[in-house]
Amino acid sequence: MFNNPRRFGLILSLLAASVIAVPSYAADDDAIGKAIKGRQAGFQLYSFYAGQLFAMAKGEMDYNSELAATLASNLSSVANLNNGMMWLPKSDNVARAGDTRAKPEIWASDSDIGAKAAAMKDASAALASVAGEGLDALRSKIGDVGKSCKGCHDNFRAKDF
Amino acid sequence: MYTEKQVWDPLTRVCHILLILTVVGGWLIGEFRTFSIMQWHFYCGYATGGLVLFRIIRGFSGPTEIRFSSLLHSPHNILRYAATLTNKQPSGTPGHNPLGSLFILLIVAALAGQVVTGLFSKDDALFFSGPLASFVSESTVLSVTSLHNLNSTVILVLVGVHVTAILFYWVWKKENLIKPMITGKKK
Repeated sequence: MFNNPRRFGLILSLLAASVIAVPSYAADDDAIGKAIKGRQAGFQLYSFYAGQLFAMAKGEMDYNSELAATLASNLSSVANLNNGMMWLPKSDNVARAGDTRAKPEIWASDSDIGAKAAAMKDASAALASVAGEGLDALRSKIGDVGKSCKGCHDNFRAKDF
Repeated sequence: MYTEKQVWDPLTRVCHILLILTVVGGWLIGEFRTFSIMQWHFYCGYATGGLVLFRIIRGFSGPTEIRFSSLLHSPHNILRYAATLTNKQPSGTPGHNPLGSLFILLIVAALAGQVVTGLFSKDDALFFSGPLASFVSESTVLSVTSLHNLNSTVILVLVGVHVTAILFYWVWKKENLIKPMITGKKK
């Protein structure tokens, strides 16, 4: 393998390239940064689905039973994803200022974040079960979804980055 | 016999009562907001904005007692009045005393700030946005919403000081400031 000088040169340069490449790989391997981005993607989905449901409830957007049912079902599905692995230690807005608004209180031993997440699941499931049955049905359940969003926003999310 | 003279004109008194309703209502709804009542926070805000704008206009063209030119006192005068605050006697000022004048300027500025920041604020739990929030960047909306929150506490403190001062004048200085604000007349 090494008696061919051209092949030896190729192997050597590949080795050199891999040594040079390693640091750039390490810099990209920001597990906490990736987890934060993953979390935020989940909230983007909440916002996309719920935003249109709230717009319908407020009369800012025409009610469409099929769309409402799908949006609410998707919202409920996202709320039921187990994304616990994204909530890594040291991924709060103190350790990662500027990247996230998640407060350290989320990780505190007396944190009721689990109960808040359960409330979100319940409220979105209740909405999903009626969202396609008319505007009044949608309106009757959407308040609890807002309340469950607010439950976390008030206590666990900073107002600004 | 004391002679009673008019200190607050009817329009000032009516606006003051309306302002109590819109500010207390707006604060309560903002603090305990739900999806079904949030729209009323906006109505309270718009009404407060109208009243504050009207107060600013009247600060230049209204009765002498409420004009900004009567409310601007030198720090020296304000401190001199503050030094007499614990005297157990009425201030004897027909309109706003120097400290009261300072308070009016502060509360008008704070309320104006609250209305303006509210126009650009957003609540993404209940999915309500101020009517001008879509015209500015997302990061501006976050900062302004933060200010709107912070300033609500400033207003709460100012209102607390206002009510405490009225009680202090009543109990300590034996000067009833509430009656003139209702009847317009002061001894």
